[in-house]
Amino acid sequence: MKSVFQTRLGALVMATFLIASAAVAARAQDSKLQLSALDHLASKASESVDVNIDERLMRLASKVFSEKDADEREIKQLVAGIKGIYVKSFEFESDGQYSAADVESIRTQLRGPGWTRLVNVTSKKEGNVEVYLLMNGEQVGGLAVLSHDDRELTVVNIVGPVDLEKLAKLEGQFGVPDLGIETAKPKTKNDEK
Amino acid sequence: MSTNHFKRIAAVLLLFSLASMVQAKGDDFNSVVRMIEQFYGVKHEGIPFLAKAGMKAARTAARIKGGTARQIAEAGSIKLAVFEDQAFAGEFTKFRSTLNAALNESWLPLVQTLSATTAEQTYIFTREAGEKFNVLLITIEQREATVVQVNLSPKNFARLLKDPEGTGKALTEEATIIDQE
Repeated sequence: MKSVFQTRLGALVMATFLIASAAVAARAQDSKLQLSALDHLASKASESVDVNIDERLMRLASKVFSEKDADEREIKQLVAGIKGIYVKSFEFESDGQYSAADVESIRTQLRGPGWTRLVNVTSKKEGNVEVYLLMNGEQVGGLAVLSHDDRELTVVNIVGPVDLEKLAKLEGQFGVPDLGIETAKPKTKNDEK
Repeated sequence: MSTNHFKRIAAVLLLFSLASMVQAKGDDFNSVVRMIEQFYGVKHEGIPFLAKAGMKAARTAARIKGGTARQIAEAGSIKLAVFEDQAFAGEFTKFRSTLNAALNESWLPLVQTLSATTAEQTYIFTREAGEKFNVLLITIEQREATVVQVNLSPKNFARLLKDPEGTGKALTEEATIIDQE
């Protein structure tokens, strides 16, 4: 006959296993990137900016923006459903202050299931701008922008449903830097002439 | 010892622990000031006038000045600590880790900026406070530092969220300008 201790231990192990499995499953759907691998760059950077607007702050944001004011109403609609905005940006005074491994620490996550690299995005600024969308079926579950050149590295991560139109409007707000992102307009017959 | 006696003791202990929790939450401003003092070996200047009659002074100043000073006028209360003409030499990434660890439970970090070039650090933390919002702004430069805690109305909190760096800087500047008047 099993002792009470053995039964409880078994239940505890099973519960821990179920919780761990649920956490892993939830993580797979999550579009929040782990950006802490870049924290060490702050000591080398001439300027570094770290913006954290998590789900709790996003909820507060949806409360404080007024429906009466047209501008605030637009922002309210803009952030509706967004669960977080995270930005890490580093500027350096000389080349070679960050490594390919630093960029790769982000790219590796963006090669995970669901993430798609967009091609119809151009940047007015010089440097490389990579834009990724996390698709949960038909829905956009998150967005990431990886912008880097010789002396700058910026990662923007928006968790939750967002589209590129929204990204352009978010530039300069909520700490999202101006990345010069433009969505490619659909070609018209006149354009093709 | 009777059961009722135990209940009374438990109730008293519970009240004490709740009181200390409230105290801990409300005392983060002082903790941050002490943390800066200990980490950098500096001493802040007390601003009793502003701490006690801050809003009255700020409102008057805001009425006179108008414009952006109205942000503070609506703020509800201000706590301010200033460190002047002292050396803030130390590893700022280590300070940031210490600060974040201390405030992590009761505050939400909004924006943090570090500049190796100018040795300037800025931190903005927020939290809900009933109908209003507490905002804790910490600015550390090479020779001076400022810690400001303000209560913001939802309208001004929205402004802070839209432009965290700009509004945060304006709030710190206004608090210190008003203090000097």
